[in-house]
Amino acid sequence: MIEAHGLTKRYGPMTAIEDVSFSVADGEILGFIGPNGAGKTTTMRILTGYLPASDGRAIVAGHDVFEQPLKVKNAVGYLPETPPLYRELTVGQYLGFVAELRGVARSQRLRRIGEVMEKVGLTGWERRILGSLSKGYRQRVGLAQAMVHDPPVLILDEPTSGLDPAQVAGVRELIARLAGERTVILSTHILREVEALCSRVVVIDQGRVAARGSLEEVCAMAGGVWYRARVEQEEEAPAVVAAAVGGLAGVTEVQALDDGSLQIQAPGDPRAEIARLVVSRGWSLAALDRQVPGLEEAFLHIVGREHG
Amino acid sequence: MIRTVWAIYRKELRVYFVSPLAYAFLGAFLFLAGLFFYLGIAMTGEASLRVMLGNLAISLLFVLPMLTMRQLAEEQRQGTFELLMTAPVQLPALILGKWFAVLTLCAAMLVGTLLFPIVLAYYGEPDWGMVATSYIGMFCCCAAFSAAGMFTSSLTDDQVAAGLGGILLLLPFWLVGNATAVLGEEWQEVIDLVALLPHLRSFTRGVLDSADLAWFGGFCFIFLFLTYRTLESRRWR
Repeated sequence: MIEAHGLTKRYGPMTAIEDVSFSVADGEILGFIGPNGAGKTTTMRILTGYLPASDGRAIVAGHDVFEQPLKVKNAVGYLPETPPLYRELTVGQYLGFVAELRGVARSQRLRRIGEVMEKVGLTGWERRILGSLSKGYRQRVGLAQAMVHDPPVLILDEPTSGLDPAQVAGVRELIARLAGERTVILSTHILREVEALCSRVVVIDQGRVAARGSLEEVCAMAGGVWYRARVEQEEEAPAVVAAAVGGLAGVTEVQALDDGSLQIQAPGDPRAEIARLVVSRGWSLAALDRQVPGLEEAFLHIVGREHG
Repeated sequence: MIRTVWAIYRKELRVYFVSPLAYAFLGAFLFLAGLFFYLGIAMTGEASLRVMLGNLAISLLFVLPMLTMRQLAEEQRQGTFELLMTAPVQLPALILGKWFAVLTLCAAMLVGTLLFPIVLAYYGEPDWGMVATSYIGMFCCCAAFSAAGMFTSSLTDDQVAAGLGGILLLLPFWLVGNATAVLGEEWQEVIDLVALLPHLRSFTRGVLDSADLAWFGGFCFIFLFLTYRTLESRRWR
């Protein structure tokens, strides 16, 4: 649905982003993360057709962003970092204006506006003046604006910034419901949000893609993958069990944890071996799983490594 | 394209009429018009709008940049320019929609001043042809000044700078008319070409001169085109 190939944006001698490539499949939610100033907004502005790239290609919803910008714009809903609102208008007037700009047929307009207002929890707010709304409600209007023309692609730049916890939960739930029916790029620096919503992640740092892949792959890139085994038996001392597991081919290190389980380091996946060993000794296996560091840890690792 | 112009046009008028700006300027303009009307008749004793319209043209030079100053500057400050440019909106449609909205406001101001020729008709015999061409001339002034005002509004995201810039941009077109004494007679032709008032004279005499209409048309075109180029280049920076 979205493909970026070698996107580069230079402002005079300054390079905002360089050689940014990634793709997003139909119905997928992509988490786009990176430190402030890393080039997230620039990349999204290029994908929406707002900014021309200095180099590279981007295909959105089957159209080249640079050759058919109007078709791309029709297929994309975009929420910039600050919701672009006309303070003087009411919620209804504003959404009506955007729907008209977006080419929503007159006969459909009221219905569509009603639908998106319900989706973002704005029902009954048609007559409120935008300038008088709180930040959370402005953000909701911004989201409604991005969806009013029913676009297959949504690009959201920090949709939950400035919201209170209940509103954050509401917006997250809304985005989660979009999964499958729409393709979403979600930029944020709230990593828990990405963990909760996104199947795939692109980490961008200093204008370059520092990591990309499924959530688990990116987390694994931090290098901290380990396996946890909990063996239950009565005959032997715990050290014997640890030594037996440590003796398996492919296991590099075994450490006993305080709770009695074993922390196992291995380059490959040793779980089948461990299970066989435990069974052959007549012990029982209470737990055996792969431990992947959280996205936050991985993120700090990736970004820190780039900087170091 | 036409749909977009229409959408922008309606949005602009809506924003104008919910803010006090439009009413303030309509009021101020009508007050000035009344003053000039009274003074014109008191000074010359003739049943004509010549003095009033001449003075109004100069006041428009100050009023219109105040009306247009927010148009593009505010879109950029509020970030709504990004909304427009990520929607399927072509720049010419955006510019025309906004320009037509100001022109509508100007037409409303001018319609308000129609009271004065009606008063004249009550007491004397105004030349209706002259009244009509004078109004066309005034409308041409509005069109030209608002195009220039939109241009300065496209240059900045600061409304006040845009408004003052508009006035500063327009002033020379008025003042250069008096520059013969400084520059000398040999510049007369150039001055007549550039200056605003010589091009208005035919309208106040009841004549529609195609050269003058073309001057105003060219004026509008140049500044609308410059606005277009500025907005276009803004995306590249």
